[in-house]
Amino acid sequence: MSLHVDIARPKGVTPRTAIPAAIVIAFIIVAIVVICAFFGGSIAPDSPFTQRLQVGDVPPSAEFLAGTDLLGRDVLSRVIHGAWTALVGPVVVAAGAFAIATVLGLLSGYLGGAVDSAIMRWVDFMLALPGPLVAIVVVGVVGGGYWTAVTVLIILFTAPDTRIVRSAVLEQRPRPYIDAARALGVSKARILFIHILPNVLPIILAYVVLDFAFALVNLAGLSFLGLGVEPGTPDWGRMLFENRTILFTNPVALLLPAAMVILTAVSMNLIGDWLFARFTRQ
Amino acid sequence: MLALRDLAISAAGRAITTGTSLDIARGETIAIVGESGSGKSLTAKAIARLLPPGVSATGRVTYDGTDLLALPEREMQQIRGSRLSLMLQDPFTMLNPLMKSGLHIAEMLRDRPEFRDRAALKAEVARRLTEVGITDPDVAERMPFQLSGGMSQRISLAAALARDPELLIADEPSTALDVTTQAEIIKLLKRVQQSRGMSLVLITHNLRLAFSACDRIYVLYAGSLLEVGTARAVEADPFHPYTLGLLLSEPPADKRVPKLIAIRGKVPGADEVAGRCVFSDRCDWAKEICRVAAPALAELAPGRLTACIRRSEIAAEMQALRGSALAPSDPPQPPDRGIQPIVRTANLVKTFAGRHGRAVEALKGVSIEVRPGESVGLVGESGSGKTTLGRSLVGLETPTNGRIEIGGYDASDFSAMTAVDRAATRRTIQMVFQDPYSTLNPRHSVRRSLSEAIGTIGRFPGSEIDSRIAELLREVGLPEHYAERRPSSLSGGERQRVAIARALSVNPKILVCDEPVSALDVSVQAQILNLFKRLQSELGLSYLFITHDLAVVRQIAERIYVLYLGEIVEHGSAEEVIGRPQHPYTKRLIDSIPH
Repeated sequence: MSLHVDIARPKGVTPRTAIPAAIVIAFIIVAIVVICAFFGGSIAPDSPFTQRLQVGDVPPSAEFLAGTDLLGRDVLSRVIHGAWTALVGPVVVAAGAFAIATVLGLLSGYLGGAVDSAIMRWVDFMLALPGPLVAIVVVGVVGGGYWTAVTVLIILFTAPDTRIVRSAVLEQRPRPYIDAARALGVSKARILFIHILPNVLPIILAYVVLDFAFALVNLAGLSFLGLGVEPGTPDWGRMLFENRTILFTNPVALLLPAAMVILTAVSMNLIGDWLFARFTRQ
Repeated sequence: MLALRDLAISAAGRAITTGTSLDIARGETIAIVGESGSGKSLTAKAIARLLPPGVSATGRVTYDGTDLLALPEREMQQIRGSRLSLMLQDPFTMLNPLMKSGLHIAEMLRDRPEFRDRAALKAEVARRLTEVGITDPDVAERMPFQLSGGMSQRISLAAALARDPELLIADEPSTALDVTTQAEIIKLLKRVQQSRGMSLVLITHNLRLAFSACDRIYVLYAGSLLEVGTARAVEADPFHPYTLGLLLSEPPADKRVPKLIAIRGKVPGADEVAGRCVFSDRCDWAKEICRVAAPALAELAPGRLTACIRRSEIAAEMQALRGSALAPSDPPQPPDRGIQPIVRTANLVKTFAGRHGRAVEALKGVSIEVRPGESVGLVGESGSGKTTLGRSLVGLETPTNGRIEIGGYDASDFSAMTAVDRAATRRTIQMVFQDPYSTLNPRHSVRRSLSEAIGTIGRFPGSEIDSRIAELLREVGLPEHYAERRPSSLSGGERQRVAIARALSVNPKILVCDEPVSALDVSVQAQILNLFKRLQSELGLSYLFITHDLAVVRQIAERIYVLYLGEIVEHGSAEEVIGRPQHPYTKRLIDSIPH
């Protein structure tokens, strides 16, 4: 069957679009989180662990800009240090899920047949599982806290990512440049990794950013339930649990980490959406 | 009735068309002829005030005295569809995929009091369908994906005509269709126009079509009008070098010419050629005076305008060029019959498992052969199986039955061959694909694509690869520094040249070319066809040239096979098949060429 043919594409007028203000703000927020994660020790006014049991929880003041929590610890320092677990875990989840999903999606999309069916049925099964619940059960049973949670999330996130990679691969597969490579006798492995992968990478990366946001919220939730980080670790999700009782004495202690989770997740979502729109505008 | 004055379209500050002026009277048919980037589609949309966001138009568009550009949107909506109708380019995406075909027409008629009654509406829809040549009223119940291209186009036409407009603008109404369907749709348009006394604006890139179907022609290039005149006058004696070039670029179907007059270079955007004659970069007669300022359209004879300021000086040369360009060449020498064919298929059958158990027989026992040094054309429309045949020869499809022999090897099933035989076969036969915009990996530079191709025939030191790449680029007429470029910075014609270079990098004996020029601008098509001819004489290549375009195949092929629904219905030398067709399908194909 011959292709539907376009008369040679018109000289498109694609103006260089400026980055929208919201995205710039999103990038700034993410930059702040990253800086806090790596240089928290130098930035934070105080140690996140020092307890002042006599002082207890006090609202913000000149000495403690965000007040203190129940154990007298400086909230601002804890929030700044909390950026680390807010960054590391989700990044590992996103990167891990991305790596596995890329391999599975490439194989599934290009090879088709039994391989495709097998992988897709596994994906269907994983998608049917209620993610956070599974994470809770596994971490609760196996123990191991934060990194167990990260591992479980990697496995859970791989499934939808595999589908996305697969559909991006399916889009490239019928294209003539792949046919040309096949006609030349280029090996399957080369076609997959040298030809197809670079062309699907941009879309995958956009989704990986969204994965990060999802993982952040999930991990914060698990920490809130006591199944993530070790108690005492400065972590935004954990702080939501610790500080919910002092809502009326020092609301900042609860609201600040909550705001950070929301801001970071929303920023990553916006950036991911924007990247995706850019890459698919071809 | 409709008059455009200095309609200028721009987007994001860049000009797309410069001041265009146009007139059309009641019942007249005019053509706006142009290649890609000429601005013809946007001009049509500007008249109907349907420009995409970010694109704006200035000037005056007067319809029966009213300036359309100044009308408030609500009043413009009254005019659209009922007095002025626009039929867009692609029949496959023009219809709402979730709406039944009949509904596209019915929704235009619903508010009329006489069609309140369901039965009356249904009857009217059926009547409209017969007007566009669809006699089976059940078609109204079908969804767009169940329609062929020709039928979709007819439905779109019926919807555009539903409110009985006085003026119809048809943007490339037949381009995406098969050749025989194209002719039918154009005939239909003319018939409808006659019976309704409608005016018709036909937008096309096909000059021959414009000549045969229209009264007057406007030639648009890179956003500027270059020539205006009656079809007959312009065909007899084009006043502008571009029009002449376009005319000569279209390969004649009735004879083979030694070399097509191609317009060198590629089609620019309007803003790239501002401040001078838009065609001067590609014009063989351009002088300094042409580059000083953009020449205005001048009326050299009543009703005949041209933007060429050197017209009077070069008129004689232009005529001479035309005469010489159309002088037929000697018929090609048929190769010695004793030589073994490079490619031979015997009773090739390919059946695809279709949906719902309905198998599709793409090839029903096809036997062809190509001898060394020979150029064979495979002519057919969509659904004929020609692409399947081509793909089977290079191993991209495996035939269900039958035999393929390539270079002496049994290549009926590429996966069953030994690796050595397979590699040898791949060095014998390669393929050039249709769509220049996806034939190259967009993330790889030209150098990378070519190195990979060279790498399939062995390991060579870097310096050798570099020199081979330079050689290949020279062979296809591209400058050496193009090796560093990515496909996105190349034009369609240039990309196709790179694709040809890639196919040549393994030193094949035969190239299978699947519609290699169909997606290119006409002026570029001629360049690529000349390239194919040159490569054949220089490298002794054979071709299996797959196309639906008889005029194109006439210039390239010595022998032609005509494929229809998976079977060869006619076969012979190019002169025989085109000059004295035997099979009714071949005759239909030939009749479809606009003349």
